[in-house]
Amino acid sequence: MPIIAGQIAFSYLAAGSVASAILAVTRKNPVHSMLWVLALFLHVAGIFLLVGAEFLAAVQVIVYAGAILVFYLFFLMLLDLPREAAGPRFGAHWPLCAGAGLGFAALAWYSRNLRLVPNAERAVAGAPSLGSLSAVGTALFTQFVLPFEIVSLILLAAIVGAVVVARKKGTS
Amino acid sequence: MVPVGACLGLSAVLFAIGLVGFLGRRNIILMLVSVEIMLNAVNVSLAAFSYRLQDPRGQILALFVIAVAAAEAAVGLGLVLALSRHRAGVNIEDLTELKW
Repeated sequence: MPIIAGQIAFSYLAAGSVASAILAVTRKNPVHSMLWVLALFLHVAGIFLLVGAEFLAAVQVIVYAGAILVFYLFFLMLLDLPREAAGPRFGAHWPLCAGAGLGFAALAWYSRNLRLVPNAERAVAGAPSLGSLSAVGTALFTQFVLPFEIVSLILLAAIVGAVVVARKKGTS
Repeated sequence: MVPVGACLGLSAVLFAIGLVGFLGRRNIILMLVSVEIMLNAVNVSLAAFSYRLQDPRGQILALFVIAVAAAEAAVGLGLVLALSRHRAGVNIEDLTELKW
């Protein structure tokens, strides 16, 4: 019974995320697009929960839906929204773009069968304890402590770079 | 419980949608959001691999992807802000200085 419930939940989350991604890409008003992206991020967080990545789901909600998306929304408010919503949403070359997307999807669908995923005898049936916070935290602070510190350097560089790029000239 | 192949298919579909959005939209901010959709698709497949192989390293790679996505958002939107100061609007088709 829990297996069926998990499959139903996965079907709902997958359908919801694909639908909200399509709506996010195709809406005319940029603010509506942002709200659909928010729905997409929450559905993806649900998928993370289903595959046992609880910490990743929390980070997805807090960082992506909470911080990055609000940041994008702030920037949208700097735009001239009515004029933006009045123009065409796609460039004139959109058939090529759609072809590229369909081609990529076909390629990925084809390579799905290429046995890229090893047949995991190691996968324990229904062992949800792996994705727990302690396993991720232990690996993050022992094996991956150097990349973790480098990420903090990247974030610092991004902060400084954003300030330098976006400041007004002449205000030192 | 959750089939990993379905997760990978979902990831491919989301990535394709983000690709279409990045290539096709005219608004630079929405192009950056499409990049975020693509990064999310990659995170889905990383989490699925982590679940299938029972290995937390996939989740850690996904965490690093999220951190780099945050840095990319900061720098990219700073560029968009500098761009919108020099000219009106954030339409990608107006930026033709590098076109020969």
